[in-house]
Amino acid sequence: MNSKPSLLSSWLNSGTGKSFIQLLSVVLFFAAWQLGAELGFISEFLVGTPAGIWKCFVASVLNYSIFIDTGCTLWEALLGFVIGTIIGTALGLSLWYSKWAAQITEPFIVAINSVPKIALAPIILLWFGTGLGAKVVLVVSMTAIIALIAAHQATKDADKDLQSLLFSMGGNKHQIFFEVIVPSSMPVIVSNFRINVGFGLVGAVVGEFISSKAGLGHMIYNASSLYELNSVWVGLFMLMIVGFFLYHAIDALEKWMFPWRSDNGRTQIRM
Amino acid sequence: MTNQAIQLSINGIHKSFGSKSGPVEVLSGLTFDVHEQDFVSIIGPSGCGKSTIFNIIAGLLEADQGSLIYRGEKTTSLRGRIGYMMQKDLLFPWKTVLDNVLLGLKVRGEDGPQAVDMAREYLSTFGLSGFEKSYPQTLSGGMRQRVALIRTLLMDPDILLLDEPFSALDYQTRLYLESVLLEAVATFKKTVILVTHDIDEAVALSKRVVALSGRPTTVKNVHEIEIERTSPIDARAHKNFSEYFNLLCSELDIQTKKDASV
Repeated sequence: MNSKPSLLSSWLNSGTGKSFIQLLSVVLFFAAWQLGAELGFISEFLVGTPAGIWKCFVASVLNYSIFIDTGCTLWEALLGFVIGTIIGTALGLSLWYSKWAAQITEPFIVAINSVPKIALAPIILLWFGTGLGAKVVLVVSMTAIIALIAAHQATKDADKDLQSLLFSMGGNKHQIFFEVIVPSSMPVIVSNFRINVGFGLVGAVVGEFISSKAGLGHMIYNASSLYELNSVWVGLFMLMIVGFFLYHAIDALEKWMFPWRSDNGRTQIRM
Repeated sequence: MTNQAIQLSINGIHKSFGSKSGPVEVLSGLTFDVHEQDFVSIIGPSGCGKSTIFNIIAGLLEADQGSLIYRGEKTTSLRGRIGYMMQKDLLFPWKTVLDNVLLGLKVRGEDGPQAVDMAREYLSTFGLSGFEKSYPQTLSGGMRQRVALIRTLLMDPDILLLDEPFSALDYQTRLYLESVLLEAVATFKKTVILVTHDIDEAVALSKRVVALSGRPTTVKNVHEIEIERTSPIDARAHKNFSEYFNLLCSELDIQTKKDASV
């Protein structure tokens, strides 16, 4: 079938070819947007323009506000994510030790998980004030339960044969925990970071929406109430960049932590 | 036969498992002896509870009735004193080859520098030097099973329990590993209990073969295999080989003629 791949199709399948198409589509999108606004098809007032966004971005770089806001949101999200992940993972793993405790707590975990944590935001702000603390608590409340469920499920899925083997060697429960349960759960736990780091950003931004003095959520909320759409877009694009960066940071972390997973689950059957 | 002293007696073991339609009796008074430095194969129809016996000896399951007598002493299991090998190599994917073979000693807290030296020596004896820092995923099936064998031998267990350890390998690798196993067992003077589906393998490797009945399982017969062997390949060429092979086939009611099927 593919006896003679043309030069074009092989270039389109190469790394540079794919990057070019990605870049081209971004450029076309913004060009169309700018053109539409200038020709009057798109309302500059309600949607903003790429040129306006750029101007806004440059101004926020010059007065450093973009760095302060981005740094603020990133710090809230990361701090909450790390604390929430550590607490949730530790609890989730330790539930392996006692089937009894796991069965007792299971309905509560499910119940807590089913509450949208965003709904807690107003109370958390009431309790923890308008500063960093409240945002971190909000992020922790969102990420901890997810980390807990992921870690607990991972311990349940740990290879039974490896546990039996260690037991037959004379290993005790602690040894089985640290030699089998924890290492075999780690890939699932770390893979789940991708979801949770996203929730970290959600929590930080929502916290800032409600009450804050800085941060990208603060910037977006203020700008949109003033109909400064270009500023809103700057905030949104910064969030996108931060999320993108965090996602790839976790990819790198995974590769570094699990050198034994040579394919990292990326291989796919040719279809 | 010089070594006829009994090392392990399996004495009237009963075991049932619960199912939807009440308890199913799997082992029904299983009794047989294992001699010092014996090589016993257990063969029997599928689902006759061969792995259940192993799990009881290894301490993973408790027998409902019956006992194990080890060198004259009654015991509930040989946990910590046996080496277990299965069809799956059960290597820890996140551990390097060296850490994998040291696992059993680590569990006992005996993984000091001496143990590491010994592990390296074993690895080179079994043709795996240079792979100490590799992860199991990068090795072939035969190499992985050799790593599993080294892990088992390093623990210096009293008895090796082998549950179809070679059945997932291709025939060549299998013949090779069978001879590696026989050599290792002779060198280290180990006792082996092998569960296998493969009558050919049972005859080629064992000193004795225990044939089991279908469920509820009892011992049907114990056969001494009198073949002087230097390797599993020349055991297969021995004049008595096919006689034993046919004997065990008929023991398991394996139909060898087409028209015999009803």
